[in-house]
Amino acid sequence: MNIDPFTWRAGGCHCGGVRFEVALPEVVEAQSCNCSICAKTGFIHIIVPESRFRITKGAERLSEYSFNTRVAKHLFCSECGVKSFYRPRSNPDGWSVNARCLDATDGLELRIEAFDGQNWEANAAALAHLSKERA
Amino acid sequence: MTAPQLLGHCHCGAIRVMLEPGRPVGELAYRACQCGFCRRHGAATTSDPRSFLHIEAAPGSVNHYRFGRLAVDVLLCEACGVYVASSIEVEGARLATLNVAGVGLSGFEGRTPEPAVYDDETDEQRLARRRARWTPTVLVEDAQPSI
Repeated sequence: MNIDPFTWRAGGCHCGGVRFEVALPEVVEAQSCNCSICAKTGFIHIIVPESRFRITKGAERLSEYSFNTRVAKHLFCSECGVKSFYRPRSNPDGWSVNARCLDATDGLELRIEAFDGQNWEANAAALAHLSKERA
Repeated sequence: MTAPQLLGHCHCGAIRVMLEPGRPVGELAYRACQCGFCRRHGAATTSDPRSFLHIEAAPGSVNHYRFGRLAVDVLLCEACGVYVASSIEVEGARLATLNVAGVGLSGFEGRTPEPAVYDDETDEQRLARRRARWTPTVLVEDAQPSI
């Protein structure tokens, strides 16, 4: 018997212009990062592989912001400024979804850990596995 | 003794702020509003009627967002998306609450914001609270950087 361990959950920005879905297990490892951009946007990371994320509305409303190495693609709603998800520098093959933007977290156990993004080079490798597709 | 000026800016630096505290910095309110907008932005705000807030924005850098009752002029950075402040105009003067987290305002390190819930307020109560608590503010758009 093959039981799908993931549930698709919906979320989005404040004005409703940008919507997404992400497939999550019941227990999710999330990161609260102290780097310059995460501190200013209050982003709580849920990093997933490409196949477990989809934009369902408003891709054309996304503004893109890059800085420093310009690998991360910071995406936010051009109307309400909310950053619901983005392409992280640590996992450019996947997505990082903002736990604050999920519609509902019932039945979801978020285990939020501190991530020291101020020392990104020393710590980023520990996140790489989170965006790998299962074989 | 005058309290020090507190500085901050959005991530890209297009919007810069200076708060002149009217009381010791440690006594400034620090709140985490639980509304859907503030939660999604991870906002942690301060406001104080005895302080003074200067906001300077580079040309074209402010996205003025309004929602709900449309009473509040929310200031976002057009380039980096950061939520800087919410403001209202009362008798020609601007009052604002500043997103300390969004601008990385100095002086709040090590403090945890108090959760704040305003869901049950009437429109009148909302306005009265803002008038009593928010900070006299000057917003200069199309500014030559000076902060």
